[in-house]
Amino acid sequence: MTKLVQHKYIKFGLVLALSISLILFTQFIKLVKNPESTPINWMTIAGLLVLWGFAFLGLLISDLMKKTNLKVLADFPVLGWVSIVSLVFCLTSNFFVEAIGAVDFLAITTPVLAFAGISVADHLVDLSKTSWRVAIVAVFVFMGTYTGSALIAQLGLILSGK
Amino acid sequence: MKKKNGLYFLGFILVIIFIAEMIGIQSIPVGKVRISILPLVFAVLIGMVLGIPAFRKGVLKKVYAKENVDFAGKYLIFIMLPLMARYGADVAPKLKEILSVGWVFLFQELGNVGTVLIGLPIALLLGLKREAIGATLGLGREGELAYISEKYTLNSPEGRGVLSLYLIGTLFGAIFFSVFAPLLLSFGFDYRALAMSSGVGSASMMTAASSSLVAMMPENESVILSYAAASQLLTSFLGTYTMVFIAVPLQSFMYKLLTGGKKNDKTRAA
Repeated sequence: MTKLVQHKYIKFGLVLALSISLILFTQFIKLVKNPESTPINWMTIAGLLVLWGFAFLGLLISDLMKKTNLKVLADFPVLGWVSIVSLVFCLTSNFFVEAIGAVDFLAITTPVLAFAGISVADHLVDLSKTSWRVAIVAVFVFMGTYTGSALIAQLGLILSGK
Repeated sequence: MKKKNGLYFLGFILVIIFIAEMIGIQSIPVGKVRISILPLVFAVLIGMVLGIPAFRKGVLKKVYAKENVDFAGKYLIFIMLPLMARYGADVAPKLKEILSVGWVFLFQELGNVGTVLIGLPIALLLGLKREAIGATLGLGREGELAYISEKYTLNSPEGRGVLSLYLIGTLFGAIFFSVFAPLLLSFGFDYRALAMSSGVGSASMMTAASSSLVAMMPENESVILSYAAASQLLTSFLGTYTMVFIAVPLQSFMYKLLTGGKKNDKTRAA
């Protein structure tokens, strides 16, 4: 059993290592394309390692919380835990903020979406089973949630005089 | 993951990133305004389009081998974790500022019922019936999926509705928001309001919306990313409650109102 658990976390660690390697690769390509973009230096490497550490810690916390009986905590997504872990550490030391800041933001997003694109490849076929009506509705649903929030937020900002 | 095909997969990811980054940020005119399309959009498009079964020959067949596509799906969330860790670093320096307008963050969560307010009438107008319940309750992510499958099962019309929305969102959500967010910006919305609303509850849609806003206004990167991330966190906490206590009652009220409540009256009379 312990062996299985160990194996699981080693795998998680390796996938996270793949993730930060892809970020580094993307940032490198960005520099090739535009030498003015975020440079790669030791802070970038530190930042990537910090990201790896926070992600891993968030994963561990999420797994621990799943064992608690508190539904609110057990259902909270691992993505949220990682953000919270990172937020707490970044509030305690500015070093983390600076290190993570040396990692180009957009360089983090491209690999994620490349992965996402491949992961949905097998679902493209299912799309033909979806009715065109729901597809039209989907557009309005997306617009609805975003515009709804934006209108309230806009009003709120005006009312608070910000 | 079989070793040999796995290497094709990794190589292919690098190629996608390379091509997407070489295309770079493209500015596309939409009417009078210009919208920036980010490399992340090209990355998701390349990954999807080359995966169309007709293209899966030769190397691509190995790239899109079942175990590789499964691997991408299963571990996508882990690949995303460093991104979520990055958001923590964006929020931290702005936390005071965010808390000072905290109530605005709270209230804009209610805007998520816009899915019901706008989506439901359109769905009924198009002739959808119970499917509309599943398709307009929310953004159709894991929360709605779980709720609908528990209440109606996924084999019901409601279940089909939410599953279809889930699929469409997974495929096109990020692309949609990367165009729609800058569009609203050009309509004159405050970028902070748009940044806040980017926390729609799906990490990839939030990232697409907020980073497209950043591409339009690089000088406000830190504010946009921190507001979007904070609002996303809030949605993770409150999303289920907004759905159960506000969206569900509102939806059933509007459904009865718009359909004349025939079905429900019958059951009540009986």
